[in-house]
Amino acid sequence: MPTVILLDVSLSMTRPVQLSDGTETTRKQLAINGIEAFLDHLGAHSKLEFIALMAFSSLYEERCPFTRDTNLIKTKLKNIDDYDKTCIETAFHGVGQMVLGEWGNNTSCQIILVTDGSTGIGAMSLKESLATVNQRGVSGPVFPLPFPFPTKLHVVCIAGSNEPSFIKSKPLYQKLIDYSGNLGSIQVPENLQTESNVLTIFQKLAEEMYTPFKGVLKCGSLETKIMLSPTPMAHTKTTDFSTQTYNISEIIKVCGFIPVPDISSPMALSRHLILPVSSQKQETSNESGTTDDNLVSDESNTPSFCVLLHGALKVENRAALVEVGHNWFGFVYSWADSKKKSNLMLTILPPGSDVIPWLGDLNDLGVADMYTPEQVVAFPIKPSEKRSYSQNGVVWIRQAGLQSDIQKILRHARKLPDKTQQFYKELNRLRKAAISLGFLELLTGLAYIFEQECMQLPGTAHPDCALQLQHAADLLRKSQNRNITFVLMPLQTNYNAS
Amino acid sequence: MFPANHKTLFVLDHTPYFGISCENPIEFEFLKGRTGFMPPISKTLWTSSIESAVEYSRIVWDLFPTGKLIRFFASDNVAHILNTWSSSQQSISHIMNGCALIGVPPLPSSVSPPPDYTVLHGLRAAIESMCEPTEFQIEKIKTDRGKILNRCRVICITSARDNESMKRLEEIFLTVLSQQNKVVSGSDTLLRISHCHLVIINTFPINMESSVNNHPPINLSPLLTTEVHSIKAPQIPNKLASLILEHYDLASTTVTGIPMKEEQNASSSANYDVEIFHSSTAHTAILKGNPLDSAAIRTMKEGLEYETVTLKWCTPRGVTGNELHNCIAMNRITPVDVNSRPSLCLINFLLNGRSVMLEMPRKAGGKITSHLLAAHGGEIFIHSLHSARSVLEEPPSISEGCGGRVTDYRIQDFGLLIKQNTLVALTNKNSYEKPLNKIMERLNRQTKFWPLTISSTLIFNLKQYIDPLPALFVKETLTEEEVFICRNVIFNLIGLESKMEPLQAQNPGQRVKGQKRDDQYKAIWNELENFLKSSLYSDNHKVVYQCLLECHNFNNIDEDKSSEKLDFDEALNQLDNISTVKDENAQRASVIRATTDSPMSPPPLANVPAFSLQNSYKGKTLYDIFENMENEKICNRPELAGRKIEHFRLYVDLDSDGQGGYRNEGLMDAE
Repeated sequence: MPTVILLDVSLSMTRPVQLSDGTETTRKQLAINGIEAFLDHLGAHSKLEFIALMAFSSLYEERCPFTRDTNLIKTKLKNIDDYDKTCIETAFHGVGQMVLGEWGNNTSCQIILVTDGSTGIGAMSLKESLATVNQRGVSGPVFPLPFPFPTKLHVVCIAGSNEPSFIKSKPLYQKLIDYSGNLGSIQVPENLQTESNVLTIFQKLAEEMYTPFKGVLKCGSLETKIMLSPTPMAHTKTTDFSTQTYNISEIIKVCGFIPVPDISSPMALSRHLILPVSSQKQETSNESGTTDDNLVSDESNTPSFCVLLHGALKVENRAALVEVGHNWFGFVYSWADSKKKSNLMLTILPPGSDVIPWLGDLNDLGVADMYTPEQVVAFPIKPSEKRSYSQNGVVWIRQAGLQSDIQKILRHARKLPDKTQQFYKELNRLRKAAISLGFLELLTGLAYIFEQECMQLPGTAHPDCALQLQHAADLLRKSQNRNITFVLMPLQTNYNAS
Repeated sequence: MFPANHKTLFVLDHTPYFGISCENPIEFEFLKGRTGFMPPISKTLWTSSIESAVEYSRIVWDLFPTGKLIRFFASDNVAHILNTWSSSQQSISHIMNGCALIGVPPLPSSVSPPPDYTVLHGLRAAIESMCEPTEFQIEKIKTDRGKILNRCRVICITSARDNESMKRLEEIFLTVLSQQNKVVSGSDTLLRISHCHLVIINTFPINMESSVNNHPPINLSPLLTTEVHSIKAPQIPNKLASLILEHYDLASTTVTGIPMKEEQNASSSANYDVEIFHSSTAHTAILKGNPLDSAAIRTMKEGLEYETVTLKWCTPRGVTGNELHNCIAMNRITPVDVNSRPSLCLINFLLNGRSVMLEMPRKAGGKITSHLLAAHGGEIFIHSLHSARSVLEEPPSISEGCGGRVTDYRIQDFGLLIKQNTLVALTNKNSYEKPLNKIMERLNRQTKFWPLTISSTLIFNLKQYIDPLPALFVKETLTEEEVFICRNVIFNLIGLESKMEPLQAQNPGQRVKGQKRDDQYKAIWNELENFLKSSLYSDNHKVVYQCLLECHNFNNIDEDKSSEKLDFDEALNQLDNISTVKDENAQRASVIRATTDSPMSPPPLANVPAFSLQNSYKGKTLYDIFENMENEKICNRPELAGRKIEHFRLYVDLDSDGQGGYRNEGLMDAE
């Protein structure tokens, strides 16, 4: 998941630090060295992650947009000037805009706030910001947290853990984390006597933040070790009657296959690349840059089930239905970013087996040859009841609806006796609805319209036309016919008697 | 959790007053210009209220086919209960039939004392019904023994004289509500009401003014929140449309620019708009993004109290169903004006299997495809698409990773397995076991013995000799007939071997491991044995396996002999197969030689690995080494005439001296 490094460049960051080995440095320098250590870890283990760098004081500045190039960020770190005071709220506005503009509101992001324990002074200090969260008027900007996207906020404080300023600001940081969604941490070195104290914190944070998902993709007895990128997360599903947290299992199990057109783009929580991991190598990832060429070529020449599965799914244009957790499913399929580079992708559905209405309960899917043809239903599954828009129901909320229903009947009336069936069918439909809605005035009104129509028939009209219209008008007027089970029948005349 | 919209109760006033006209005559455009008097047609208050309530339910049931329940009560001198919480009675046709039975409101009575016509009968019945648990509530209590909150909403359409009587109505409601909770406190089958939201719509004909004022939601007690809307009867549908958005957290989208043929003039086309309702989550992605962009697409609905988001129809290009879109939310939709021509046009377009993309303009220029409208199984959905940058951009290709360079995967065979295990939906599953679990068991069996590449298998490349044994043998059980077929496959193979028939690969281009006939047979028997041994699922499977063991001699002594016989060829073959590795080693060895050996060193033997040659010096006398060098010289001489003869019998003494190494023999032979 993308990460924003938010570096405090206020004056207080330039405070000198006396290291135990006698050398002198600044908090800012320690922070920069720490961030570099963080980037090194990423460059070695999580090459696909995007990082952005933003510097802030009372204003903020995007120093480096989201990139996978950690060296680029390192160069941007080299020359950052010092500015005035810390103003965290403004910086968060900037982070919010940057992330929304880049990733939208559906991608979870991590934010690392690197600061020094002083939270600013005056109206825009963190203390003031937090105190006025609920008093923002229409004019002032609303507090940026929580962000509209899922967020993890880590606060790294370049300060000794027993410094008074840190002790004072720790609860404020905690409040920020709570506002942001309660996922995150506050990191602080025990003291600033050695640089390694700071570096370790950053390295540990990187390890924690980018724990790769290591699991097994299983199809019956075939299996292969895989990594998912980005790392999938547990999901809490809330329905009208329950809240349940679902965890991703380490074994992604293939349950069967479905043609891609049948699946037709259901809602997904997240998408992940499936990267096969060599089973011989002890290294955690296949991304580490240190592997020598021999090993790489060895790996790529050892058959992997992932590649086979990918090839076959692509050729057959099918996706594999997989179980990613208890009663939690996903699809594995071939996906191409560009035309050339094709990949094995895992789409994780919302938890539960009833998340795709047109596939039915996923637990109840079977293979055709294990059942009788009568038991098999083709996709898409139709709901037991039709929706209103395919029912030809009567809605007269707007006058146009009623008018077009009457016009339809009159159109048929002019073409009697050819349209006798349609005329009575539409008439009965309208009559039934009018009785249900207690709209009796419509029935007498319609009788009146029919009689008018009769009188104005052109001389060329079929004689049956007048007879049927008068017959229908009489029937509509009779109050004993106001029972929906009664059906208006055509008048038997010489013209239509067969 | 436990939202009030799980249980909604409509209480409709059916007293004689509601029989009066709205005084809002319907205009018939098509009758204009006709002569003759036409009596005005106008709906009654009753017709207005029932049709609005039915429309409310239509939207709810279209968007939430299960779990959002609505009940109807009509009230005159008694309460008429039109349906129950049972899902079979949650449909418009059920309600419409019920309405037909109760008919129009009674006429004002002349008998004295007049019957007690009031909406309170209906409200009382509604309060009692709130305590009845729904199927979902029963299920929840049963499965989790969870405590549930029984929240409900009552929408009452009535008419009150003034604020005072409206206030009294609310108070009576609260009293009855509290009493009802006392009544059910000891009950096992009835639920206590946790909270009720009472929405009162006070209505009247358009030629009247009401002295009842609106009031926003007020908490009368922790148990009850009430609000009053006082509106003219023709406005009820609009009021309910705004309320439904709030009650079910819905949003409105106007699809604009739908090209449609004119009704009158089929040759020209005009653009139309269709408004749809859906859950508000469909808008989350676009409205939480750039505030400028979202402000541009939101407009207040004309004459109504809610906002609609306008998105542009994007004429679909080609088939869009063939790929999986990155869909981040998916919600059912329903058209607001279900019977209008533009709505029907859009709906039929979608129900016929086509899909429509919706575009949203961007302030910064350009536009993004934000949604997809599509029907699945007769239901129409709006899919929200991920339109921002993806973290998955520029991923490494699968060919760059593990196993990416291998080119002879058995793709076709796996494709067949995929086809065999394609999932379908089932009706009346007659077993207790999850069908999906049965497939996974089957997949386990089918993949128990499954070489990934063509070069690592023989039997699957020689299908014509083996089929249908592999397909049959992965089944859970074998019938007698299938055992017979499997045994025939084995017999057939024995027959071919005895006839010394060479085995031909199915695909002419395919390279079959082991060019020699004997190797082929040996390899195929061994692989077959491994395959059968791995899949002994039933006694009949064992019968077939036993048959294989009996027919083909896997006996050790025999195997030793044959293996000796084959050893040399096998070794050569393996040399062939791993030639790349071999070459590397050989090269490396020669590099070492070039740098470490004296100029007098003998040249390397062509066929013998360099390392073993060096080993062979170990523990030998100088004479031995000299002798070896002499031998090598011999090797470099012109080829022995005997070797050039095609049918020269080699290893003549092999049978007599079984334990000798072939290498020495070879050398002796060469002498």
